[in-house]
Amino acid sequence: MLNAFSLMSSSPAFSRRRRASLTAACLIAAASFVPAVALAQKPVDAKGSPSDFVQTVADNVLEVIKRDEAVKSGDLTRINAIVNEYVLPYVNLEKTTRLAAGRYWRQATPKQQQELVQAFKGTLIRTYSGAFTRVTPQSSLSLLPFHGDAKAKDVVVRSSLSQGNGPSVGIDYRLENTSQGWKIYDLNVEGIWLIQNYRNQFAQQISQNGVDGLIAALNQNNR
Amino acid sequence: MNLFRSVPSIPRVARFSALMGATALVAGCATVNNPNPDDPWESYNRSMFAFNDTVDQAFLKPIASGYDALTPQPVQSCIHNIFGNIGDVWSGLNSFLQGRGHDFVNTLGRVLFNTTMGLGGCIDVASMNGAHKIPNDFGVTLGVWGMESGPYVVLPFLGSSSVRDTTGTVGALAAGISPVTPVFEIDNIPLRNSIVGLYIVDTRASLLDADKLVNEVALDRYSFIRDAYIQRRKAQVDSRRQGTELPDYSDDDLPDYTDPEAPDSNASTPSAPAAAPAQ
Repeated sequence: MLNAFSLMSSSPAFSRRRRASLTAACLIAAASFVPAVALAQKPVDAKGSPSDFVQTVADNVLEVIKRDEAVKSGDLTRINAIVNEYVLPYVNLEKTTRLAAGRYWRQATPKQQQELVQAFKGTLIRTYSGAFTRVTPQSSLSLLPFHGDAKAKDVVVRSSLSQGNGPSVGIDYRLENTSQGWKIYDLNVEGIWLIQNYRNQFAQQISQNGVDGLIAALNQNNR
Repeated sequence: MNLFRSVPSIPRVARFSALMGATALVAGCATVNNPNPDDPWESYNRSMFAFNDTVDQAFLKPIASGYDALTPQPVQSCIHNIFGNIGDVWSGLNSFLQGRGHDFVNTLGRVLFNTTMGLGGCIDVASMNGAHKIPNDFGVTLGVWGMESGPYVVLPFLGSSSVRDTTGTVGALAAGISPVTPVFEIDNIPLRNSIVGLYIVDTRASLLDADKLVNEVALDRYSFIRDAYIQRRKAQVDSRRQGTELPDYSDDDLPDYTDPEAPDSNASTPSAPAAAPAQ
């Protein structure tokens, strides 16, 4: 506010000079900013321990979101791009969708299965885009001690997301060890498992309107 | 004394809800397409859900949205924090009843710190210093004491509950102890009613974001809210039943999804329990 006033009241010449120096400062900042972004991203080791895997993926995503103004304003295209680049490679979305569909999965043709996965992906992105916009510079994910067997095929990694400006949120990740390393396939926010929460709704839709009805319902929300 | 003063208000509330409940029942019960073992009263529940929704859309939500739009954010959070601070007293008491001394002391510390340094609870200085809220209530206490949750039930005006949680709410109200009890001790009726009104509006306003999310992502709002409620309450009780801060994850803590269609890479142990054994 004060800054704006002083800018407005200053003489045109001064403000021109000031704008030039501002531009220069911006350029320098931008130049030093680019490598910093690249450096902040840690390589993800999907074959290491499940805890390190989750921590690295989460840190990378938070790092990207914190620097992205478009995400903070809720730009779904940008959020989609970030999810595609930083989240999806580490997620087995097909398994998530398959488990949510339960016994109805086999009723679907391969084409329907593909469409269902895509439609559900849209729903999930909308679900978490709100959380993305609320990320603050203080947001950080800290893991709780790992109690499972890190060599098991199916593990749960528990964590707590602190936001700085509100209560911390408990998030658990359920992972599966595949031939390509760890893949996240289910998520628990404050005691609520994602897949579990969609099973009844999927069953309801499919039994009433078939698989295509479910796909249409998901896509209708997506529009 | 406490008891005598709060008693007259209960029959009135009960009569009113009974009347409204009857209204919803007369309106006809919804048909149930997919019976759920956790929700044997789904037909009634759906009617009550629709009724609550109507009331909400007609009165509560517009008022809460207006309040949210017109009231400056610092004022809103101050009001929210003051109610939260009073609620913390109740949460702390429940932690005590559950034998969770650590949570009890932490919550007590929060209340003392926020009431003094936080200017009567207006600023949540405890959270800023890392002492986060530990929500708790009498429904969870009953669960920790071994009471089963019973079927899911939608209460008039109050929404999602279970038989156990309703017992918790009604029991606490009847005993004259609840987060809103101090308000009912106020003798000045207009002031008291204003505070109760503000409490309701504040509660509803804090749910606006969640409500918007559910509208955007749920295929069926009723099922979505029901399943989330059941899961969350179970998780709250389970995490406290273990007796330790960090629950051991055994198989039955995790939802078991049978996955007959798993691709070949996973087919070696198709029916093996999904979760990792603890330790």
